[in-house]
Amino acid sequence: MSEFKRQHPVAAVSRVIDLIKQNFITLLILLFIGTSNSDGYFLYFIGGGLAIALIGGVFGWWVFRYRVYEDELQILKGVFIKNKVYMSKDRIQVIDITEGILQRMFGLVQVEVKTAGGGTESATISAISREEAEALRRELRKKNGGEIDGDEDTELTEVDEQEEILDSWKLSKKDLVAAAFTSGNFGLIASILGAISGQLDDFINEETIEYLYEILPGYSNVSLIVAVVIAIIIISWTLSFLGVIFNYSDFKLEKTSKELIITTGLIERKHITVPFNRIQAVRFVEGVIRQPFGYGMIYVESAGFNQTQKGRSIVIAPYISAKVFQDFLKTFAGIDHQPEETITPPKKVRFRYIRRPTYFLLIAVPVLWYFMEYGWLSVSLIPMMAYLGWMRYTDAVASFDQRLLKMRYRVLSRTTAFVRRNRVQDIELTQNPFQTRKDIFNLSAMAASGAGGMSFEIADIASNDCAKVYDWVTPKDEEKFTTTDEKAHEDIEALSKEESISAQDATGQDHLSDSESKVK
Amino acid sequence: MNTEPTTRIHKNAIKAWTVNALLYGLVWFVPAGFFLLISIGQNSHLPDPWYMGVDWVIFAALFIAGLFFYLLIALLFPKLRWQRWKYDISEKEIDMLRGIIIKKRTLVPINRVQHVDTRQGPVYRKFGLSSVTISTAATTHEVPALDDETASEVRDTISTLVRKVKEDV
Repeated sequence: MSEFKRQHPVAAVSRVIDLIKQNFITLLILLFIGTSNSDGYFLYFIGGGLAIALIGGVFGWWVFRYRVYEDELQILKGVFIKNKVYMSKDRIQVIDITEGILQRMFGLVQVEVKTAGGGTESATISAISREEAEALRRELRKKNGGEIDGDEDTELTEVDEQEEILDSWKLSKKDLVAAAFTSGNFGLIASILGAISGQLDDFINEETIEYLYEILPGYSNVSLIVAVVIAIIIISWTLSFLGVIFNYSDFKLEKTSKELIITTGLIERKHITVPFNRIQAVRFVEGVIRQPFGYGMIYVESAGFNQTQKGRSIVIAPYISAKVFQDFLKTFAGIDHQPEETITPPKKVRFRYIRRPTYFLLIAVPVLWYFMEYGWLSVSLIPMMAYLGWMRYTDAVASFDQRLLKMRYRVLSRTTAFVRRNRVQDIELTQNPFQTRKDIFNLSAMAASGAGGMSFEIADIASNDCAKVYDWVTPKDEEKFTTTDEKAHEDIEALSKEESISAQDATGQDHLSDSESKVK
Repeated sequence: MNTEPTTRIHKNAIKAWTVNALLYGLVWFVPAGFFLLISIGQNSHLPDPWYMGVDWVIFAALFIAGLFFYLLIALLFPKLRWQRWKYDISEKEIDMLRGIIIKKRTLVPINRVQHVDTRQGPVYRKFGLSSVTISTAATTHEVPALDDETASEVRDTISTLVRKVKEDV
């Protein structure tokens, strides 16, 4: 494969499709508004945008060429700014082969090549035939270290190609449907509500009111608003229902010795590879609707790969019972135990927890009461929010041991996060003047995710408990851990006794750190 | 954590921040002042030139209020901020304490540090100060306003420590 090759011409269109996909909801709203305006002004606008994208795509396809030359993947691209991407084989960590909607129609695949190391970058070849992709993959995988022992061809390729699958997990059809039913996405509802409230004046005009008057018995301002809200809830629920079906049909998780491989999607088959050494944190998220059924979703946070992406959360189980999730974590994420030392917010802060979510109602309720016909009904939100606060209080818990930090907290959904000690990037304590009086802090731990970070935070923890976590994060000399077999264990105990004596007389710090290991 | 960090940043920080705040403040307050002047003038609907119609009492009141905040931010806050800023660098960790109203305490384990830089803006240069930025895989932290020597010393210390720890593990 030493000649430069172009992609399949379909690649020219794939950018347009991407563009449509990324802006799907915006486009939908634009179309909706555009058609309700008499002149098709918006339609021209959208059409023009897509046409430009298409032309760009054609040029992009023409200049994009790739080849495997010696031990590098070389890509030439860029219409105005020429861009050469050379990736050395031994730095390539992941090769993902994905089938998008478009690719499926033409029997093609998309190949994503990702490197590891300090500067992480990725190259995407967006449309080539499956055979070609497989050939490319084999080519790129081949020489990995093969040069040293000479026989590079058969054995090594085989091993790399068919990485042995140690464990796998599938989402059953039944669970898929259950997941879709319970996926009510409040964020989506809120954003649609927000988008529409801007247009509310357009919707609520004489005609619509007339119309609603006919179809709704006992019409009033309130029933109009209730109707709109219900309609939005139904629409957004349907959207998230379909979203789950599309994204997680035939969800399959496989584990090899080095990585997790996820294959999922109905129309668009995605193939995601997560090397174990990139996993920074694991989250079990129990949505408001799912929690009563005892189900939730598991994410892993992965670092690097895509510099532009702030956070990179990958779903490794879209719908899983809380009963089995610990076993699941043991198998797939290497989290084999639950930490023992536990910290909860002290009793004295429970009213702070209950009060906190109701603060915004102090403004919202009077406003609604004053301006809306049945606005006083919004008073009922107060006990609801207070209850949410109470749940947040009872859910908040942090626990840790030598290796692992576990933090459970609730915003709306309940999140249980696991971070290994050596993956905690920093610990932060914040305290406002009210908290100073009570001697409490907000405790947060940061894990890396994508090019940025993700923090897990629990509010109102007593200062002496915070101190425990604060001191925990940097390993003390005697408990620094490497591997623990029985013999090493004994040796170290003997050593640490000696050392603790010698450490006392003078500058023990240095040679203490030479021979440390985990005591427990 | 029971012992708070003790190392202070350089005292010149107060001056540097004051100068900084005064300069940046100008960018905000001067246009705002003009805008205020003009808007009061225009709303008076008088045939005279616009400045004749300015309600000087309102203008003076708002101007004094603005000036008060300006000086408060420029003169008082840097001092408070300096008083609160403390840090410590030990073999294992970087410990930082800061915040005027909301106290913030951050601990970064040494072996999580990915790189350390020193930085110096024009104002800092005038006062012989530099800040040290410490980046982990997830976040970037800054210890501001150390004198140049200390800053490069801190930077070197951290990078040496990081190397040592990484070799250990």
